[in-house]
Amino acid sequence: MQFQKLKYSSLFLKLIFVFSIVVIFFIGAVTYQHVSSLKEKSAVLGKCFKIHLELEHLISHMKDAETGQRAYIISKNREYLKPFYKSEKSIAKSLQILDSLTDDNADHQKELILITDLIRQRQNFLIKSTALIDQQEYDYGQFSANLAEGNNTMMLLRSKVNAMIAKETKKFKQQHSQYDSIVNNTPLLIYSTLIITLLLLSIAFIRMNRNLVHLKNINDKLKITAEANNLSEIVGSFGNWQLDLQTGKQSYSDNLYRMLGVQPNSFVPSQTEFHKFIHPDDRTFVEEQTKDLHTKGILPTFVYRIIRRDNQIRYFKVRGELSKNLFKRKTVIATTIDVTDEIISTKYIEDRNKELELTNKELSAFNYVASHDLQEPLRKIETFLSRLEDKDFETLSEDGKLCTQKIKSSTNRMRILIEDLLQFSQTTKTEKAFEKSDLNELFENAKLAMLQKIEETLTTVHCNNMPMLTVIPFQIQQLFTNLINNSIKYRKVNQLVHIKITSKLIPENSDNRLPNNNQKYYQIDVEDNGIGFEQIYAENIFTLFKRLHNKDEYEGSGIGLAICKKIVENHDGFIFAYGIPNQGAVFSIFLPAH
Amino acid sequence: MTVALADDDSDDRMFFTDAFDEIKIKTKVKTFNDGVDLMNYLNIDDAILPNVLFLDLNMPKKSGFECLKEIKKNDRFKDIAIVIYSTSSSEEHIEETFINGANIYVKKPSNFAILKKILSDIIVINWQYQTSGLNKDNFLLRL
Repeated sequence: MQFQKLKYSSLFLKLIFVFSIVVIFFIGAVTYQHVSSLKEKSAVLGKCFKIHLELEHLISHMKDAETGQRAYIISKNREYLKPFYKSEKSIAKSLQILDSLTDDNADHQKELILITDLIRQRQNFLIKSTALIDQQEYDYGQFSANLAEGNNTMMLLRSKVNAMIAKETKKFKQQHSQYDSIVNNTPLLIYSTLIITLLLLSIAFIRMNRNLVHLKNINDKLKITAEANNLSEIVGSFGNWQLDLQTGKQSYSDNLYRMLGVQPNSFVPSQTEFHKFIHPDDRTFVEEQTKDLHTKGILPTFVYRIIRRDNQIRYFKVRGELSKNLFKRKTVIATTIDVTDEIISTKYIEDRNKELELTNKELSAFNYVASHDLQEPLRKIETFLSRLEDKDFETLSEDGKLCTQKIKSSTNRMRILIEDLLQFSQTTKTEKAFEKSDLNELFENAKLAMLQKIEETLTTVHCNNMPMLTVIPFQIQQLFTNLINNSIKYRKVNQLVHIKITSKLIPENSDNRLPNNNQKYYQIDVEDNGIGFEQIYAENIFTLFKRLHNKDEYEGSGIGLAICKKIVENHDGFIFAYGIPNQGAVFSIFLPAH
Repeated sequence: MTVALADDDSDDRMFFTDAFDEIKIKTKVKTFNDGVDLMNYLNIDDAILPNVLFLDLNMPKKSGFECLKEIKKNDRFKDIAIVIYSTSSSEEHIEETFINGANIYVKKPSNFAILKKILSDIIVINWQYQTSGLNKDNFLLRL
């Protein structure tokens, strides 16, 4: 996400850079064009000015010549003719300058020829006039005609020159206004483009600065993460390594070296270097597993053994994934974890479990066989005894009769013990035996099984509606049977037994006798009005062979309630007893409501 | 009427024959010491087949289960009603013998008078009816 942002940001910066370069080039081109056009305009203007000046010079020289001549005519002093002669040279020079200035303009050249011509005429008239004056006798008419004609020529020349000056002035004005507009626009254009460029560069700078801060933050976070990773690698005894698919180069984290029993960076990571550590028996297996690693970057998860520098054998588990970075560079990133302790403890637990299972099996087989096979001789004793009673009881002495009675009650007791023990050994938890059952029905069956005893003792049983639950049906039925039996067995003399069963759904964690496991339970209370018991024995009564009473007072094997507890525990439930001596007992069964 | 018992226990065989002696119904009782003994007899071509056969489950050489399976496989014995007669009353045994086609399951009683009552009850059962209405609820004979 953050890298994506940076990616776009760098694209933005590139765009700004390209745009700025284009703008600078544009400014350069525009400025160059402007300056060269200014230079051109200024040259044209200078030329106009020079032509103008030279033309003025020309007229002035002509005037000097005229003035000189006039002075000579009046004074006859030859000194005044000096400027006249001098002007000849100056005029020729001016004309030469003008000729070179106007060589790119055909109109001007033509005019210049005309002007040159007119100047010559004028000079001729002046020379003629001077020559006439120099004669002692001169024709005055001819002289004044010459003067007038010379004057006319001068007028013509002046008007020609003036026309040319006007033309130049007009051109000058035109050029000057263009020059002005260029000069006015140029700074604005340069200034505005400079501003835009500056703006763009500022944006780019701000952006770059922000990216830099961002990168610095990321860098800081990465540093912390790397440090945390380093620590967790040491604590969790795992290490990381990377393989660059393009270059085939590998890099290991510090802890991977430590896991191999060597100092970090003590060798250059490579396939061959690492292979030296792999257990010789596992090398072929590892090669088989990593056959696609260097070409396709495929690394399955597997466990292998290595031999550390200190010759300790450790189990390593490796897991890797192919990753492509921002620049589509393929790298395999993998984690190697030392699972030796895990494997050893799992193996230990497995062994212990097997042992325990075996012991349990043996124990329950022993229990079953013992109690089953014990029934055989017992049954025969009873059968023989019953035959003796039927046929020969009358012929026995009183002592003999008493003895048979004692034998009978002893065998009876033994039968109960054996049967209960057998039942206890068969009360096992098997998942497949669970089925959804109506507890009311199971209770009715239990009542039916106890019917004879219930009727004999005139016991009343009251039961409210019980739920449907997923249970092992015959075990729950056994549970009810045992509890009814228990209540009848420990009844008070001279009082009829009344058994009351109530059930209700209780909310999670509402009974402090139950664990806080957020599990709803059905509470089934079996209450009687029997002899009860001291509350301190409440837990003892569920222990196998634990009895609270002498066997002469109350018959019982000490197994019945132990079976009840086992059954309830098979259902992940709880059973508690609450007794008040001479008032009665309540057995509370909690079965999880699924 | 002919009844037969296969049981390795000599006392049980004695109780069995004594009980029939005392029952007023006229029956011919034959006993076998084990499963092999029983099957050898039954497999004789002209053997007189019993109407009701009592099978103990736990016997050496050939157990009651094996006998039951062999008998049910052979069409010649289809009219023999088979009563399982065992000390055990484990659900497992009851289930397995029921599935394999035994007609009734009796737990050996520990009182001679009761034994007589069971045997006389079984003898007078209308087997025709009993075999057609086989179900697991009345498979185990309760007294």
